[in-house]
Amino acid sequence: MNFFLQLAINGVVIGSIYALVALGFVIIYKASGIINFAQGEFLVLGAYVCLAILSSGRVPVVPAFFLTLAFSAVLGVLLERLILRPMIGEPVISVIMVTFGLSNILRAVVQGLWGTDTRPFPALFPSTPVMFGPVPVSQGYLWSLGSVALLLILFSTFFRYSREGIAMRATAFSQQVALSMGISVKRIFALSWSIAAIVSAIGGVLLGSIRGGVDGSLAFLGLKVVPVTILGGLDSIQGAIVGGLIIGVLENLSGGYLDPLLGGGVKEVAPFIALVLILMIRPYGLFGKVHIERV
Amino acid sequence: MESLQSRRNTIRGAVVIGLLFSLEAFAQGEIKVGGLFDLTGITSDVGKPYAQGVRDGVQWVNENGGINGKRIRLVDVDYGYKIPEAVAAYKRMTGDEKVIMINGWGTGDTEALKEFVNKDKIPYVSASFSGHLTDPAKTPYNFFVAPSYSDELRAWLSWVKSDWKDKSRAPKVAFFYGDNAYGKAPIEAGRRFCKENGIDLVDEEIVPGAFQDATSQLLNMKKREADYAYINVTTTGVSIILKDAKKLGLSTKFGSNPYGFSEALPGVAKDAAEGVTGVMPHVPFGEKVPGMKRLTDFHLKNHPNDTHDALYVRGWSYVLVWSEALKRADKDKALNGEGVKKALEGLHNFDLGGLTSNVTYTPTDHRPSTKTPIYMIQSGKLVKVAEYDMPRKPEWLGL
Amino acid sequence: MRTGEFRTTYAADMAIFETPLARWSLGVFLVLLFLLPLMATNYWMDVVNRICIAVIGAVGLNILTGFTGQVSMGNAAFLAVGAYSTSLMANRWDLPWMVTVPIAGLVTALVGMVFGTPSLRLKGLYLAMATLAAHFIVEFTVVHWESVTGGVNGTSVPAARIFAFALDSDTRLFYLIASIAVALVFFAKNLFRTKVGKAFIAIRDQDISAEVMGVNVYKHKLLSFGVSSFYVGVAGSLLAYQARIISPENFPLSVAIDYLGMIIIGGLGSILGSILGAIFITLLPELLRLLTGALSGALPGLVQLFASLRIGVFGLAIVLFLIFEPDGLAARWHTIKNYWKLYPFSY
Repeated sequence: MNFFLQLAINGVVIGSIYALVALGFVIIYKASGIINFAQGEFLVLGAYVCLAILSSGRVPVVPAFFLTLAFSAVLGVLLERLILRPMIGEPVISVIMVTFGLSNILRAVVQGLWGTDTRPFPALFPSTPVMFGPVPVSQGYLWSLGSVALLLILFSTFFRYSREGIAMRATAFSQQVALSMGISVKRIFALSWSIAAIVSAIGGVLLGSIRGGVDGSLAFLGLKVVPVTILGGLDSIQGAIVGGLIIGVLENLSGGYLDPLLGGGVKEVAPFIALVLILMIRPYGLFGKVHIERV
Repeated sequence: MESLQSRRNTIRGAVVIGLLFSLEAFAQGEIKVGGLFDLTGITSDVGKPYAQGVRDGVQWVNENGGINGKRIRLVDVDYGYKIPEAVAAYKRMTGDEKVIMINGWGTGDTEALKEFVNKDKIPYVSASFSGHLTDPAKTPYNFFVAPSYSDELRAWLSWVKSDWKDKSRAPKVAFFYGDNAYGKAPIEAGRRFCKENGIDLVDEEIVPGAFQDATSQLLNMKKREADYAYINVTTTGVSIILKDAKKLGLSTKFGSNPYGFSEALPGVAKDAAEGVTGVMPHVPFGEKVPGMKRLTDFHLKNHPNDTHDALYVRGWSYVLVWSEALKRADKDKALNGEGVKKALEGLHNFDLGGLTSNVTYTPTDHRPSTKTPIYMIQSGKLVKVAEYDMPRKPEWLGL
Repeated sequence: MRTGEFRTTYAADMAIFETPLARWSLGVFLVLLFLLPLMATNYWMDVVNRICIAVIGAVGLNILTGFTGQVSMGNAAFLAVGAYSTSLMANRWDLPWMVTVPIAGLVTALVGMVFGTPSLRLKGLYLAMATLAAHFIVEFTVVHWESVTGGVNGTSVPAARIFAFALDSDTRLFYLIASIAVALVFFAKNLFRTKVGKAFIAIRDQDISAEVMGVNVYKHKLLSFGVSSFYVGVAGSLLAYQARIISPENFPLSVAIDYLGMIIIGGLGSILGSILGAIFITLLPELLRLLTGALSGALPGLVQLFASLRIGVFGLAIVLFLIFEPDGLAARWHTIKNYWKLYPFSY
């Protein structure tokens, strides 16, 4: 029982990081229908930028954090304008390719500027874990759980009640109609990309401080996000978060119980098997909106 | 119209560059050595300092007389730890560049290329210490400069035996390794050694090539109550495992292979690295041994602001070994693949001034040395705690 | 002087090669192609072989994605299936390439059809995700089914043989690979003149209407997966004979992305596009390597920078192409051709 509990709780906390990345993914999709495979690189960039600001020594932690967020916001707007704007109207597959190309470019920028070494990341939280019964949990993960919960509430209210949020949903539903209603679609896109970049940066900073170091491999999280968003529903905020937590738990449980039986590696492939099953049974995920196709 | 014109210009430009490139190859008095490095892939955290060590070593040799007056030209290729790129680079180095020998890197690609290397007679000195490359009956052209991974694991297990104080039962050991050729290289040897020496191998955990979290593997290990665990990945992976273990409050003592253990580890893993042991076939940078002077002098002259570690020393030591072989082959007027192989096999107790154990190759045994120092991290510093010399058992050749 | 083309018979309208010039230039190209080994070094023959294999794979992927509209990210997985099937047959039962290559193709076709079953219910993005999952599942299988695949250490493949003549160098292998590539490309080009091919295109454009009009959409979707995977399986099989050593590291996800890049940059729904895209994507890293190699000879301190630069430039090339040439190289080629066809009245 102890073993199960430990795995499950660990899964939930890891899942909160997945949820953060998936959140950014979903926001972009919700507003513009684009799948952003460069989401993982936003995470890495956020972590490195924060590290760079902190290393300069002159900025304390909290302002550094907000500076990082500001940087990510600007990055999001810039990328949207330079790269995604020209892709409006292109087939889905081209847009997917562009984001892959973008992820390559960002990865190269990170490597070029900071090299491939693991850079030590200052511990933003004390390293003593908090005990949940018999299970120790790093404080960093608690922060990520907390921020995920906060963001969930924030974004749900945003999309439901605020003008910008409703405008985003309208744009996702039909760009043409939104335009004719006077919504500035360009601004919506820029906004959604900045938010996504910010959210990923938060995840990057948290993950960096938990791991104690940053290096390029953090970007692989971008791929993990795929089963998460499919499970939750590509256009659902709650789905991203719930999906993240579920996949985190699923990974850990299958790692803990199935790895010894099948000789390892199950932990990595389990989310994708789950993905296939979900796609067969409920393709739009737990909370996604079902698309009705018309000829 | 414009696009046709610019296309023609691009073609012209490419031809010019190609010509320039091939002109360089005609430079006389040059010995070409291929260098296959990982500067951008999943082992680049250790690949980069190693590559710098090799480059600096080559530059030092060229500045100090070269190979009997001839310069070494290092054909420097980054293959990102991707086997297909390594194979393509190999074809280019041997086909177009006509290198005499290659200084290679990873286990996966070195083992993949061993048949090609055999057929083409290209001495291949790899940074991979896989035991599968030690038997000249199977891999006559493969060499490396360190005890094999298998011997190193055996040495570490011997340290475990001596460190284990409880006489009532055998020590319980777990292995952590990646699901690839590099990770699996010493495992079979380790399994057999445990069985023959009364060590209880209770658990084997697989970690993927790049991972962020090892908690489920560690929890599994905790269930089996391992007292010691050997980690066979690279530094980044080791630090994640150590941190997760510390978080879980595990009392297991960890040890690492030579690509997971270096001066960089305490910096990344911080206090989770205390008490961790590791195999260090090459000394840390700056260690007080006579051979270190060349390196520190070069470092002060050329890049005094960089930090270096044992991987850098490793790269240097490789150059010292094969440049010596090149010198001997050149003296014998046999500057080709077979000649260099013979020269390497003529190295007996070749002294590197303490950078690593003395090197001996023979036509029937390509294990250069079997003495493995064990270091431990104490207060953030690497301290030597033991040294084990594995016997050169014939049944261990090639394992 | 005539401008434009005028066709006066039905046969001319349906012809693959529309003008005598097209037929002649193709003939010359084929002759030059088969004379290539006399002019190129061993390394460039390796590059050319890889291009030919990529052409086969790209044409296959284009059949599925460009012509039938089914997005697939499973290309790397199917290449692996083809390669490992061939290695198994060659190693264990010593079968010649004439048997292993088609059978590897058929095995891959079957696997492709299995992974194509979600296409009944899924479209676009969701199908892409499903095929992405397929990639990881196949990768897991390859790594763990050690008795067949040799696991992570990979397996070596004996050289293809024509009776006693071993095709163990790239130059010799070239004739085999190029011939198969040429044959398969012609087959594909012809495929889209047939009923089946037209059904594929109909599914891409408006599948619901196609169903209404009597095209059995599901059967044709599966068939498309099958044919496409056959091509990719053959490509994988030839890859095994060319690389001689295959391991799971030969088939990472980036290979699937490269193939998608090939058909998008080349032009979706165009056979010529697949060829051009395959050439472009395979040559780009080589050119970058030459460039950075030449430059790092002059500026050795920047070797590290150049290594990361290569990845970035590759990504940049893809992005720029997609922004400025969204219809691909084939479309640009056609535009240029049409300009000359109608000269001087090309406006």
